[in-house]
Amino acid sequence: MRAPYVGMADRVLIIDDDEQLVEAYRDYLSDAGYQVDCAQELEEAQTLLDYFTYSVVVTDLRLSKLEFGGLEVIKHIREHSLPTRIIVLTAYGWPELKAEASSSGADTFLRKPTRLKELGAAVGLLMGAEA
Amino acid sequence: MKKTILETILNPRTLSVCFQPIFRVKDGSRQVDSLEALIRGPRHSNFSRADILFDYVRRKRAEAEVDQSCLIAICEAAVDLPQDMRLNVNVHASTLGHRSGFVDIFRREAKKRSLAFERFTLEIVEHAPTCNIPELSNSIAELRSSGVRIALDDVGLGQSNYRMMLDCAPDYFKVDAYFVRGLAEDSKRRAVIESLVALANALGSAVVAEAPGSEEDICQLLKLGVELMQANILCAAMPVQELQRLGLVGKPNASAATVAENRVMPELEYRRLHAQMAAGHTIYT
Repeated sequence: MRAPYVGMADRVLIIDDDEQLVEAYRDYLSDAGYQVDCAQELEEAQTLLDYFTYSVVVTDLRLSKLEFGGLEVIKHIREHSLPTRIIVLTAYGWPELKAEASSSGADTFLRKPTRLKELGAAVGLLMGAEA
Repeated sequence: MKKTILETILNPRTLSVCFQPIFRVKDGSRQVDSLEALIRGPRHSNFSRADILFDYVRRKRAEAEVDQSCLIAICEAAVDLPQDMRLNVNVHASTLGHRSGFVDIFRREAKKRSLAFERFTLEIVEHAPTCNIPELSNSIAELRSSGVRIALDDVGLGQSNYRMMLDCAPDYFKVDAYFVRGLAEDSKRRAVIESLVALANALGSAVVAEAPGSEEDICQLLKLGVELMQANILCAAMPVQELQRLGLVGKPNASAATVAENRVMPELEYRRLHAQMAAGHTIYT
């Protein structure tokens, strides 16, 4: 599925240990005109966040060995006062978890499995662009 | 499943190696004294940049494994260098201080490629505050007994402090760029360099100035007694083949005389590179 082209080079970081999902998200958002980086694990994401400015981070709540690695990503972004909006993807339906992520600074939640169009719309909304 | 970036860089073949000359500037000539091997991560990835790569490695606490991977990549690349060209290799102090077997692996990899141990200088870097000093000292003693020289990297910053100067007894102080760049216009930086030169002399070490930013900085360093310098304005890091094309190093089987002749950077090439750097072009970085 092709995304509507937004014609801008905002940078997006996708963090998920599911390689197939990451590739699908990356292709879709790249086609939409975003510059997309991917990370499969917390340390990789933290390093990239230290070096590059991302407009939006899309992170899974669960990252490989870390049950709630996504929360660590949110914490890293907020502790470093990065100008980054955060989309959390999760297959969990626990309201407590959502509340914790929200209070940590997550901007948007998307339930997994997430449709590409839905993700594109969420990213576009946070960018302030039309999706 | 796709490999993580750590799994990828633990394969030495995914790493590329550039070499940056350390020049001895003396009596108007600039001769290549040695080459520092600099690692680049997987091409076309954000981790091709060394600073990003090693920040990630330290986060993963995988310094020892990655140092070994880098060492193998460097030994492989060094095969294309003349047999008497000295080589500087970076290693974390923690790698030498944690019984990682680095010294044995170093010996094995060098021997496998007929690289004389005496050609190497290990540049010790450390970012973590704690390190097993007795084990580090043992490793250094073992390396020294095999003819390897020791340099302390980034002197003046972080963990490259007075204690490390005493514990590592380095043959070289590699003074961090922070203190070197701009020293021509800054009397405080000159004072720092002056004190480090005096300290190095007292401890029997030589000083290498990292990244002087101008000809004026180079002149000031010479006045302060520093002859060894490594900087992009002298020559950027580049693959072996490029250094050979520029005539800065010879071929692997070049005779010592040929190599010695070639070690003086051709003035025209120097001017060309200097002009490119001044124009803001990135050269093989």
